[in-house]
Amino acid sequence: MYQVEASKALLKPRLWAGRAARLRVPRNVVMLGMVSLLTDVSSEMVATVLPLYLVFSLGASPLVFGAIDGTYGGAAALVQVASGFVSDRWRRPKGVAGLGYGLSAIGKVALVGAGNTIGGIGAIIAVDRVGKGIRTAPRDALISLSSAKDRLATSFGVHRAMDSVGAMLGPLVAFAILFVAPARFDAVFVVSTLFAVLGLAVLILNVDGRPPRLRRAERDEAAPAGDKAAPSFRAALGLLTAPRFAPLLLAAGLLSVASVSDAMIYVGLQRNIDFDPAVFPLLYVMTAIVFMGLAIPFGQLADRIGKVPVLLGGQALLFVTYGVLMMGTVGYGALVLCLLALGGYFAATEGVLTALAGTVLPEKLQASGIGLLITVTSLGRLASSLAFGGLWFAIGLQSAVICFVAALALAMMLAAPLLLRAQRAALDG
Amino acid sequence: MDSRNGKITIVLVVLCVLLGGGYLAYAALGPNQTTTDARPQAGAAPTGVAVMVRAVDPSKPTLNGRVFVVEDGKVRRRSSDLACERVYYAGGRGICMGVAPSGVDYTAKVFDSNFQTLHTIDLTGLPSRARVSADGRYGAMTVFVAGDSYLGNSTAFSTRTTILDMTDGRQIGQLEQYKVTKDGKPFDAVDFNFWGVTFAKDPNRFYATLATGDHHYLVEGDIATESMRVLRDGVECPSLSPDNRQIAYKSRIGTENRWRIHVLDVKTLADHPVAENRSIDDQVEWLDSTTLAYSDGTNVYTVPADDSGESQLLVKDATSPVRLGR
Repeated sequence: MYQVEASKALLKPRLWAGRAARLRVPRNVVMLGMVSLLTDVSSEMVATVLPLYLVFSLGASPLVFGAIDGTYGGAAALVQVASGFVSDRWRRPKGVAGLGYGLSAIGKVALVGAGNTIGGIGAIIAVDRVGKGIRTAPRDALISLSSAKDRLATSFGVHRAMDSVGAMLGPLVAFAILFVAPARFDAVFVVSTLFAVLGLAVLILNVDGRPPRLRRAERDEAAPAGDKAAPSFRAALGLLTAPRFAPLLLAAGLLSVASVSDAMIYVGLQRNIDFDPAVFPLLYVMTAIVFMGLAIPFGQLADRIGKVPVLLGGQALLFVTYGVLMMGTVGYGALVLCLLALGGYFAATEGVLTALAGTVLPEKLQASGIGLLITVTSLGRLASSLAFGGLWFAIGLQSAVICFVAALALAMMLAAPLLLRAQRAALDG
Repeated sequence: MDSRNGKITIVLVVLCVLLGGGYLAYAALGPNQTTTDARPQAGAAPTGVAVMVRAVDPSKPTLNGRVFVVEDGKVRRRSSDLACERVYYAGGRGICMGVAPSGVDYTAKVFDSNFQTLHTIDLTGLPSRARVSADGRYGAMTVFVAGDSYLGNSTAFSTRTTILDMTDGRQIGQLEQYKVTKDGKPFDAVDFNFWGVTFAKDPNRFYATLATGDHHYLVEGDIATESMRVLRDGVECPSLSPDNRQIAYKSRIGTENRWRIHVLDVKTLADHPVAENRSIDDQVEWLDSTTLAYSDGTNVYTVPADDSGESQLLVKDATSPVRLGR
């Protein structure tokens, strides 16, 4: 077991060091968490001030930004699959992830230098999105390959919790800078660049690109009877029909189509609950705090009692959220309940699902498989948002939610045996 | 590898803290606070027309956003501490949407003819549009609300438009909660966004933009009954002429975020473009029944409301033109 040694954990705060040691989470995972934390501080800083910057410095409407941002969502999905496969093919998950983090860092530098035209900012956002698309699959593969299979969900929980800490800190740092130096967006971009560079540096200097499971797989290859070939494109494509992975992919797709996106849930709450509009941004913050608090315990639980029960339990929490959406006008109690359920749902699903994929996938195809999984779930979410928006338009919010309650129940019934089959395959392997 | 790389990491962290802290100190204390006597400069203005504008100069915090009254090419008055991102004024009361003293939030101030603040309202997003009814009774404000989701990767924007009672600063309604009809039937969708209110002579009536999907509908609203009805598509940021017969608005070019100024006839809903051929993102102001004023983000220009003539500079380094003394 590859454990944390406190003396070597130079970068991370004591709290994390202590917790990580208690959780027996590999140092590599904590370092990858730190990379994500720093990178998220960097990108959330920019995301927070970009609308202000566009309106007040460039005289553009923030709707421009929405349009710019939405354009690249589809392209990002393709990039994920490709980068996952390339990472497996070259056997360089760290290098490919580094390319992604590096692109985003370059984007931040470019903002400092040339971010004063709409076209320039559009290009920079595109580079940032591509960078994000490139790094996700190889990074998750590294997390997976760094952990023992029976600790995978905890590892992903730790990583996702650290990641969301960064996403929470980013806006705070940005606002603190603008408070000290009003209207100095350049200062925000400079500090954001430094965070991005630090994230990249921690990746390069402190993340092991050949983690234990990968090295073991390579040793097996070196054996006389081992399969020495780098994974072919056909092998990666074969994952789509692989008896161990295909059921998981199908289940993930079904569940994501039946899950209403958080953005839609917030809009629904906004319409239904008679609260002060000033509270609205707090909804995100509260959900994020719940997510942050529950990601690690739910990961541990998944490692102890099995990933599938936690995953399905988390999905079931969405029924609570749907229930609140159907109530019409509701008070603060129901609102808090709804956000607790939503945060819990996120904490029990995304990381745990990736962990399950990590146990099912062969070492050589980790990044390809995770890339496929991310793409399938994000396409599923897109379909869900379109369907929910269309239903809301056609038959009203309450009826739309009822449709999704039925869809989710059906999806869970179909997904449960598929997931159990994948988990059994994982145990056999 | 660990101990050497760990040391390099620590050195990098220290370096970044020093660099970031140094730059921040320079930004906060550096030589960007210099005060100059710069002010919006009047260009070719029709004589006898007084307009209120907000000064544009992001590099000078003491000037940027100040409200100036410009008449016959001369600055008559300026606000000393009222700084706005958007400003409007009519019937003795004005709305100034700007950065709150905290520096990170936005507030709207209702002010009187001496630029004295009467009421302060917290805003929940970035200032976008402000209008006041001709009698100073009602105000309307649009803000951009960032609906970004931290777990997803999309950053969608929505707007929120509030109707104000200018006499006591109360928020008496939100367009998002008004009932909408289209062709006589109830009309509702998830992605409804409203912006750009313009008040009629009867201050209870107004026009605004309703955006849903790819459509930007012109709606006519009623404050008392909290209702709106759709009139036609393709109209953003309407602005009603003083005689209430025409509406100047932004007409989107294709699906891009580029707009031409058009004017439509309220009765026939037929429209024509004006002579300004650049893309303009502003809620147009009527100087009189035949002349429009608008900003390109840097300067204020005028153009005839029919398709004749050409655009002319009205006030340099200014936005948010407001016709005074109607």
